[in-house]
Amino acid sequence: MTAPEHLVTEEEEKAIKAELPEIFSRFPRERGSLIPILQAVQGRFKFLSPGAIREVAKYLDLSSSEVYGVATFYNQFRFHPPGKHEIKVCMGTACHVAGGDIILENFERKLNIKPGETTPDREYSLERVACVGCCALAPVAVVDDHVIGYMQPSKVEGLFVQFEVQREKEKREKQAKESAG
Amino acid sequence: MAKDTKIIETYEKLRGAARKRLEAERAEGIPSIRITMSTCARAAGAEETKKAIEDVLEAQGLNARIISVGCLGHCYAEPLLIIDHPTTGFPPICYYNVDANKAKLICRSYLEDGDPAFEYVLGAMEENDLIPPVTTFPRFSMEQRVVMELCGLIDPWNIDHYLDKDGYSALASALQMEREEIIEIVTKSGLRGRGGAGFPTGKKWKFAFEKSADGKVVICNADEGDPGAYMDRTIIESNPHQLLEGLIICAYAVGADEALVYVRAEYPLAVRTIQHAIEEAREYGLLGENILGSDFSLSVRVFQGSGAFVCGEETALIQSVEGRRGMPQHRPPYPVEKGLWGKPTVVNNVKTLSSVPPIIRRGADWFRSIGTEGSPGTAIFSVVGNVKHPGLVEIAMGTTLRTLIFDICGGIPGKKKFKAVQIGGPSGGCLPEQFLDTPIDFDSLTQAGAMMGSGGMVIMDEDSCMVDVARYFLEFTQKESCGKCTFCRIGTKHLLNILNRITKGEGREEDLETLRQLAEDIKKGSLCGLGKTAPNPVLTSLRYFMDEYEAHVKEKRCPALKCRDLIAYYIDLEKCARGCEACVGSCPVEAIFTTKGRKKAIDQSLCVKCGECMTSCPPEYDAVVKVSPPELAPIIERPPDQQPKRAMDGADS
Amino acid sequence: MVQIIVNGKSIEVEEGQTVLEACLSNGIFIPNLCFLKDREHPHASCRLCFVEIEGRPAPVPSCTVNVEDGMVIRTDTPEVKRLQKSAFKLIMSGHPCHAKTCPTEKPCTLMKIAKHLGVGLSPKPLEKLERDIPEVVDFGFMFYFPYRCVLCGRCVHVCRTQNEGKPLLTFARRGFDTMVAFFSDPGENVEAKCRSCLACINICPTAALVLKADERKTA
Repeated sequence: MTAPEHLVTEEEEKAIKAELPEIFSRFPRERGSLIPILQAVQGRFKFLSPGAIREVAKYLDLSSSEVYGVATFYNQFRFHPPGKHEIKVCMGTACHVAGGDIILENFERKLNIKPGETTPDREYSLERVACVGCCALAPVAVVDDHVIGYMQPSKVEGLFVQFEVQREKEKREKQAKESAG
Repeated sequence: MAKDTKIIETYEKLRGAARKRLEAERAEGIPSIRITMSTCARAAGAEETKKAIEDVLEAQGLNARIISVGCLGHCYAEPLLIIDHPTTGFPPICYYNVDANKAKLICRSYLEDGDPAFEYVLGAMEENDLIPPVTTFPRFSMEQRVVMELCGLIDPWNIDHYLDKDGYSALASALQMEREEIIEIVTKSGLRGRGGAGFPTGKKWKFAFEKSADGKVVICNADEGDPGAYMDRTIIESNPHQLLEGLIICAYAVGADEALVYVRAEYPLAVRTIQHAIEEAREYGLLGENILGSDFSLSVRVFQGSGAFVCGEETALIQSVEGRRGMPQHRPPYPVEKGLWGKPTVVNNVKTLSSVPPIIRRGADWFRSIGTEGSPGTAIFSVVGNVKHPGLVEIAMGTTLRTLIFDICGGIPGKKKFKAVQIGGPSGGCLPEQFLDTPIDFDSLTQAGAMMGSGGMVIMDEDSCMVDVARYFLEFTQKESCGKCTFCRIGTKHLLNILNRITKGEGREEDLETLRQLAEDIKKGSLCGLGKTAPNPVLTSLRYFMDEYEAHVKEKRCPALKCRDLIAYYIDLEKCARGCEACVGSCPVEAIFTTKGRKKAIDQSLCVKCGECMTSCPPEYDAVVKVSPPELAPIIERPPDQQPKRAMDGADS
Repeated sequence: MVQIIVNGKSIEVEEGQTVLEACLSNGIFIPNLCFLKDREHPHASCRLCFVEIEGRPAPVPSCTVNVEDGMVIRTDTPEVKRLQKSAFKLIMSGHPCHAKTCPTEKPCTLMKIAKHLGVGLSPKPLEKLERDIPEVVDFGFMFYFPYRCVLCGRCVHVCRTQNEGKPLLTFARRGFDTMVAFFSDPGENVEAKCRSCLACINICPTAALVLKADERKTA
């Protein structure tokens, strides 16, 4: 593993690189800025591309190796682009007691991916997260930054029906627009 | 520093202006609606509730002020509303579990018709003759709030609210004291670090104070990572200024010129709230250059932790602020000697710092009068799991577990029996019934083999499997181990593997001894607190629940019917109703089929043991049975014409 | 110079030394893997060099304590041995021993430690651990064998010193999945730079880093 495993096109890297100087300019050029910069880069692009890692290293006068070592240490950082909808299942204590693993399993089955993976169509990604701090509502899932409490396998089904409806609606709106235009 | 009346004058001017602004608002006489908007309330639907209120106010042309407040700690009742309608003669009223529909009903009934909609009322917020006040409920009256006194009652995004309650007055008095004087008060108060280990705060400050250095740093540790603990987040989201006030006092006392608040990035609302509070404090001259006109200056910034539990350990936390892998360092040197960038650094927990302003305001003796001799003050627990009224509870140290669990939090729901309480998260331990009358403080918990930790408390009823709970915590610490030292990196992996084996029914008798020995070695041999405490859940459960381990290992049976590899579900044909299809639709894997007499049976080869069929079986039949070991389930052959559709689809393509 | 008493014998040692260094330089063996003299702060990660020091409640890693005049040290108490054996077994549970293919000079560091502790190379009663890591990783001009690696961190440290704080080697990932990774910047002539150094390969106690050209060791 000499480079993060991912699939980023050259064009994507170029687009990322173009925006980096503006992000960097918000932080002092010192080692202590490393994690805040990585957070800002990920905040903008949702993941850290190999090119971005090299640029961060250059900006802070560190070796890429150093930056990569730091980035892979923390749970927050991702090295591949996530799905359009991000699903996180809480694995905190209360959620465990309330059957959080069963909820996770339902998502895995439904999406046919493992935690930490993205569906091939880049539509959904699934993650197991440490406690999100909503223990009184266990089990909890966070879907696109929206916390859903008292999860049940049937709610998992319902969620995807919602996504389906939304997609259908968008599609129809798009069609309507096109036919109007 | 000489006594400087200028500081007090500056402060009083600030407070006076804040009060005037709030007074002007109150003079308008319009009703105010306080709604809890902390992360947990949002999860319970507070955003929808707020939107509904805004809609109904607009649609009906009603005039009311909506104030978003933090968390009251009563998570079971979220979202909560407190409506103060001064012209009606009613006291401020608290409503619970207010969803969007209820909110509309309450607003229309109370604001339009003057009828407070009693069916949704939790209680009144003040003593009165009309509505029972919440202060008489055990969940309120038995608590003693020092740190969380204002949480849920004030607007965390408006510094005026905090100033109105004499906020920052402790800072004003502290700035007039000699530094040693402040440290003396904190030492005398007996305040101990609320991060878990309970180190005397005054002593820590004194070390840092006595160190001469170019610059010193104070770090507020809000890297709350214990699964099941969320008080630090709640305090920041509900009353960030009390924390900031404590932080500034600490910085002044030890002579620091730089401070930072280290918050988990997973707490976005807390991050935004504290950032906003810092800006407000700066605008008011409570931070930055020459605070309140004194010659003390301090800059504070927020650092977001990026998801590593181990960074709650102070040396690892400092590594991560310095832009390194968050690996704990050998101590000594302690951070108070050589911390961030080599400067003396005080690392204090949110609750510790938030305890400081009340101590300065009311004195060390007052603080000592609460709690026990060895652990004065209060403790905040997040009580979750199988308990009627979960949430955050602040109680005096020395309260017994029984009082906390049964009197304050309402006990175990659903006529189930209490089995154990897990205290202190992954560093803590599981305590059985015999400890219910133990007074809770730092020392009693450590003696019992648990730990105060950050105050996570999971209540477990008879359906919880202690082996599974130990396995769960080990899985957590194993994943969160930084990987630096041998005992933690490899040792916890072995512990987890053995526990996994046992919960799968593959345990061997010698495993139990290996488990115990290895756990003890890890405790003694690890480099940092994470490794040293990681075996606690295993050691306590081995000590108090050996019979459960033995049932798993010797009989391949899970007495609590929890470990999925050791259980099976089946349908009792005597009870199953002819033609009922409730379970069939609920099964996510099409494991249920129709057998003789149009009754249902479970295909054991497909069943994933999620328990949905048991939930969906109508209570009047109650036909789904859970057994352990799985061999106890009768096997019913699935007829060929009833194969699951999914498998048939597969066969077609 | 200060006087210390090790296992009942009084010895004179240099001031400012750690207990580990003092013992080693006086012919008293204490098992160790991660210790390096020039580290400013002890790494203290291998957890093998425990000793008992009079006045301290529990055994301490000897690389973390500086000698003091009159210090009374024991390197062979049952408690010390127990921790050392336990740590050693843990290390061995993640380190496969294939005497035939292992390219280290015999006896290797691990064998010396085993002999000192009076144990074999087997981790029993612990099981051998599987890790989610590749058998071998290509670092360009050298190979890295993650299973051989005991994560002592010496290579990462020397790489940092050799490259003035801009190392090419790093620890990557975390916890049980931690491994050593190599990252070079494009355009950098790594081959030339590293070939004249090889400090990492020379300092590795378990032949986890091996020059590709060294065929005997890459088998």
